[in-house]
Amino acid sequence: MDIAALQLKLRDSFRLEAADLLAELDSSMLELESRPQDAALLNRVFRAIHTIKGSGATAGFKEMAAFAHHVEELFDEARMERLTITPVMIDLTLQAKDLLGQLLETDQPATLAPVCHEVVEALARFLPKTTQTAACSQAGDDVAGPQRHHVFFKPHAQVFFSGTDPVSLVDELRALGEATVTARTEGIPPLASLNPKHCYLAWDVALVSVHPVAKIKEVFLFVEDESEIRIEREFEAPATEDADNGPLASFLNIAAQSLQAVEGFLARLRGATEPDAVCCRNYLRILKTFQAAANQQGQPESAALLGEDILLLEVAVSSKVRISDQIHEDLAAGHRKLEALIQSLRRDSRLGAGPPPAAPAIPAAIVADAAVPTSAAPPKEAPRARATIRVDQEKLDRLMRSAGELLVARNAFPLLAKRLTVEHGLSGVGKEVKDAGDHISHIAEDLQAAVLSIRMTPIRTVFQRFPRMVRDICRVQAKEAELLLEGEDTELDKTVVEQIADPLVHLVRNAVDHGIESPEARTRAGKPRSGKVTLKAYNKATNVIIEIHDDGGGMDPARLRRKAVEKGLITPEAAAAMDDRVALELIFLPGLTTAEKLTDISGRGVGMDVVRSNIRQLHGTTTLESQLGRGSKITITLPASLMVSKGVLVQANGEDYVFPIESVVQTVRLPRDRIHRHERTDFATLRNEVFPVLRLADHFSSQPRTGEIVWAEEVPLAIVETNRGNIGVAVDSFLGQVEVIVKPMGRDFESITAFQGATILGDGRIALVINPAGLV
Amino acid sequence: MIVDDSPTMRQMVNFTLLEAGYHVIEAQDGLDALTKGSAQKIDLFISDLNMPNLDGIQLIRRLRATPQYEFTPMVLLTTESQKEKKMEGKAAGATGWIVKPFQVEQLLAVVKKVCP
Repeated sequence: MDIAALQLKLRDSFRLEAADLLAELDSSMLELESRPQDAALLNRVFRAIHTIKGSGATAGFKEMAAFAHHVEELFDEARMERLTITPVMIDLTLQAKDLLGQLLETDQPATLAPVCHEVVEALARFLPKTTQTAACSQAGDDVAGPQRHHVFFKPHAQVFFSGTDPVSLVDELRALGEATVTARTEGIPPLASLNPKHCYLAWDVALVSVHPVAKIKEVFLFVEDESEIRIEREFEAPATEDADNGPLASFLNIAAQSLQAVEGFLARLRGATEPDAVCCRNYLRILKTFQAAANQQGQPESAALLGEDILLLEVAVSSKVRISDQIHEDLAAGHRKLEALIQSLRRDSRLGAGPPPAAPAIPAAIVADAAVPTSAAPPKEAPRARATIRVDQEKLDRLMRSAGELLVARNAFPLLAKRLTVEHGLSGVGKEVKDAGDHISHIAEDLQAAVLSIRMTPIRTVFQRFPRMVRDICRVQAKEAELLLEGEDTELDKTVVEQIADPLVHLVRNAVDHGIESPEARTRAGKPRSGKVTLKAYNKATNVIIEIHDDGGGMDPARLRRKAVEKGLITPEAAAAMDDRVALELIFLPGLTTAEKLTDISGRGVGMDVVRSNIRQLHGTTTLESQLGRGSKITITLPASLMVSKGVLVQANGEDYVFPIESVVQTVRLPRDRIHRHERTDFATLRNEVFPVLRLADHFSSQPRTGEIVWAEEVPLAIVETNRGNIGVAVDSFLGQVEVIVKPMGRDFESITAFQGATILGDGRIALVINPAGLV
Repeated sequence: MIVDDSPTMRQMVNFTLLEAGYHVIEAQDGLDALTKGSAQKIDLFISDLNMPNLDGIQLIRRLRATPQYEFTPMVLLTTESQKEKKMEGKAAGATGWIVKPFQVEQLLAVVKKVCP
């Protein structure tokens, strides 16, 4: 691999990382809005920006890194408690976040420079003067927050034999800040016993540096095991060197953080009306970390107290009940006892009860999560909760294909077994082959299930962008709305998750833009000022349901009828004949938009029809309920996995075909007299509906049909929904419902739109899967 | 000198260091490195761990035993899973290590660190 390719790869992997960080930033900002002084949250934001800056520079995104630097500064000030984050700063940061995203994608970062500059200027107004000048000079010496450190370094006597020059390490320290170096020469023996190849020197360095201790420690990375190294921040009490106090201090840190986190959990759980599994799990995790630390530190009392709470919570989590007032009271009592215990420990240790320095023992994200006051903010994924690796999707697809092929290949075993038995009279061997085949078959199915599960992704990634969006729309339109997210852990096939994002954006936008009324209008209508939009995902059988519900103005069937007639989409007669439920469906017609005026947010006339067809492409359905004045609810039903879907197996002209089940409205055996010929097309009438009929056998026949179709007495007819309305497809026979794994047919057949792909049936035969849109 | 049996790896290190102003000699394994190292004075060895003929740790041990390279910096290329190898390397006299896969900047940082 050459350098260019290497860097390209680097950039790609950073883009992935940054996308996550930016999303994280988005949701953190919204939380900050309600808790601008939450230290854990501020730290999380700082870290995210810091990583974007650092890794970005490494990956070659220089402009982006430089820009991120300014945002980083703002939060550095904030987390040092030198300024308080205001909504304006949050706006700016969100703007900056969007720019960072753009800088990540663009090839010409220079074009964004003017916009970036504006944001930087705006940010600079909030920064203290000293920081600004320091940032400009990049001197590193006077930047806000330099700390005094004392570094002691005594290399191993044999250090030269590892090719290390200790003086160069001392020089590295100098480069980190303002250093006063004192060489300690007491170790040098009398000349007679001095070995010139040994190192007898040690160094004391008083270092004033902005860099964290970790950075200073890094200087000694290669020699830390065999050298004597001490790095102390000057404000730290010298007592921390005491062998007993060190671990106790760190235990007290863990204790303080845990107790603080528990406060948050207790606050969140107080008066809970529903089970809050996320909160309880995080609560449990914190307690368990705390307990492990207590055991390690020889604090059986604390450990025992924690054990009681852990038991309580475990029961609550496993039985999925809400935290009742009684349980809450018990937990709170345990918490108070612990607090008292830790307090006395702290007194005994003479460390004082001041705020402890941050210890990395507890992931900050969990601590921050604990303090989330309402369920409106998306719960953060605990960083330590699961170990994940990133895999190229291509590799996953390859694995998927292989697993699929294995499923086909296993079909050879029963045939082989049969031949051995029947043709060669080897029934014993035949049975063994069959057993082996069954075994492989099981493994193949397990493998396939496992591969499918890899592709499952929580819908969280899509959901987490909405709080920001709703907030933005509300700010622009001077509305008030709260977005409730539920079931973010619901898993869907990765492709579905990716493709559902756009339709959902549209629907959530609509809900706020068209649904939620202005606070004044709401007050007049006797509703709370602030509207409520709920986005909810859950599993139901093999489907995933996503609901978008708003308590806004609802849709007016009368107005929809009027609009549709005005735009010439339906006739006035048809409109008059429609009941309200059917009229609501008009919203899905292309070219109909109900917004009184076009807004920046939505209402460009492409809308619900696109949404519905996008969802249909994912083999999903969309339904709509709405009550004027009360709100609307849109329900999307999606198959959880794209790979396995259901189909109707039919036979035509001796060939097997599969209709995707979601496209089949119904199957009927239609009497011949219900089919009429008009011009050159056959039409069927069924329950006052007229639709064209075609014969599948003819449709895929290589010979053009001559003359009229002679219909049988009774015609097996699949009524299929297409993007141009329903059609009837006549087949020879229905063979039943099947589970299918649709495999694309490959590039050479891309132009054939009549089929979605092919599938292998249980008995190893191949059937083509019909794309209904390709039939008309 | 970069010692690695993978030509791609050698090229990558060579190219990167060349850009940064270093002169790089390539050796394809430990033995090759010993031969080339005895012909001229090398200021820094960067060596892979697993190589045919003579592996990285043996190479460092052999080099350290020569007066010429007693104090010369030698950096091992390791992978994350070879933690115990890191210690073994240190015992043999390695100056430091670079964990693969590494970024260009990391390589340059380590080189600058051990060979200022």
